[in-house]
Amino acid sequence: MRKTSILICLLISFTFSFSQSSKLPEMDKSPMDVSYYPNNYPILKIQNKATEPLVARILYSRPQKQGRKIFGELVEYGKVWRLGANEATEIEFYKDVKIGGKKVLKGRYTLYAIVNENIWTMILNNDTDTWGAFKYDSKKDVLRIDVSVQKTDEVVESMSMLFDKSATGISLIIAWEQMKVSLPITL
Amino acid sequence: MKKTLLAALVSIVFFSCTEREKKSAGNDTPTKSDATVKVLPPASNYTNPDRSPMDMVYFPTDYPLLKMAGKTNAPPLMRIIYSRPQKQGRQIFGGLVKYDVPWRLGANEATEIEFFSTATVAGKTVKPGRYILYCIPQETKWTLVLNSNLYSWGLEQNRQKDMMQFEVPVEKTNLAIEYFTIACEKKSDKSTTLIFIWDDVKTKLPVSF
Repeated sequence: MRKTSILICLLISFTFSFSQSSKLPEMDKSPMDVSYYPNNYPILKIQNKATEPLVARILYSRPQKQGRKIFGELVEYGKVWRLGANEATEIEFYKDVKIGGKKVLKGRYTLYAIVNENIWTMILNNDTDTWGAFKYDSKKDVLRIDVSVQKTDEVVESMSMLFDKSATGISLIIAWEQMKVSLPITL
Repeated sequence: MKKTLLAALVSIVFFSCTEREKKSAGNDTPTKSDATVKVLPPASNYTNPDRSPMDMVYFPTDYPLLKMAGKTNAPPLMRIIYSRPQKQGRQIFGGLVKYDVPWRLGANEATEIEFFSTATVAGKTVKPGRYILYCIPQETKWTLVLNSNLYSWGLEQNRQKDMMQFEVPVEKTNLAIEYFTIACEKKSDKSTTLIFIWDDVKTKLPVSF
C-alpha cells in the first residue's frame, strides 16, 4: 500500500513536471539563424578587429531540403515566399543604403521573394514582426527588384544567407537546393 | 597504392581537424575557448545550422502568429533573440556555467532584448530600445544585467556599458530541462513574467508595459 502511494506520488509529480515542461517552447525544426555585414561582426567586435561599422543584419529561419524537391514544388513558382520558415525574414540596415537605385532608410524591414525558374523578385516590405507571407500586403512594399538565378555546384541542404563584399557595396547571397541569387546593396 | 593510402590518411586527419574547428565555432560553453575562434574569410561556403540554434521570443507570446491571424493590431511590446544550448548530460549551473562569472544567457551572440515601449522591469523603468541581457548566476540568486554593448559575441561583457541590474531568486524545477529556454508567461495583456529555465534551474523576471 505504502509502495503504491509512493508510486502514485511519484507519478503525479512526474506528470506535473512533464506538463510544466511541455508548455515551454520546443526547438524549431527550421532553426533561426543570423548573418551580418561585416561577416561575423559580433566576434570581430569583442576582438577589436572590426574595421567597418555594422551595416546589415538578417534574421531568418532555415528549412532543410530533406530529399524534397524545393523550387517549383515545395516553394511554388510565382508566389510570394517568406524566404525561409516560421517568422518572415527580417533585414535590418544600420545606415541608409540603396537597392536597385532606390534609397532605403536605416531600419527594420521584411524581405520576401517571388521565386521563378530564372528570376526571383525580391521584395522589401515595411510590415515587420509577422509570420510567413500569409498576410503579405503589397501596399507596404518599399521596393521590388528582379535578380537572376544562378546554379550552385553543390546541393545546399539548409537554406543559407550570407553577405559578401561587392564592387559597389555588398551583396546578400541566398542559396538553397541548387539555386542561388545575389541581391546587390549599394553603400 | 601506398601513396594513395597516405593521401587518404592525411585528408582524413585534415578533415577531422577542420571538423573540430567548425564545431568550436558554435560553442555553447561559457568558457573562453571560443574567444580564439578564427574569423573565417567572407563565407565562400554555406554553413550548417548552428549546434545551439537561435530562437526568438515575443511578448505578446507568438506575436507574429497573432498578427497573422488578425488577433492584434497593436505593435509588439518586447522581443528577445537568443541561442539555445543543450544540457547533453552535463551539470550546467555551478559546472558548465560558473557561479559569479557573467554568462551570456544562451550561446553564441549576446542575448538581445528589445522593448518597443517603456517597460517596468522588476519595478524599474526601462526606456524603449534594444539592449543586451546577460546574467551573473549564483546558487540561490541571479543578477540579470541590461547592457548597451549591442551586436557583440557573448563571451565578453563590457561592464562599463552596464545600464541596470535586477536580482532574482533561483527556483528548482522537478525535471531537468534539456534546452535553455526563455519564455513569457502572460499575466495580463500588458504584463508578463519572463522565465529563464535550463537544467533544474528557473528564474523569473517580471516585465510590464
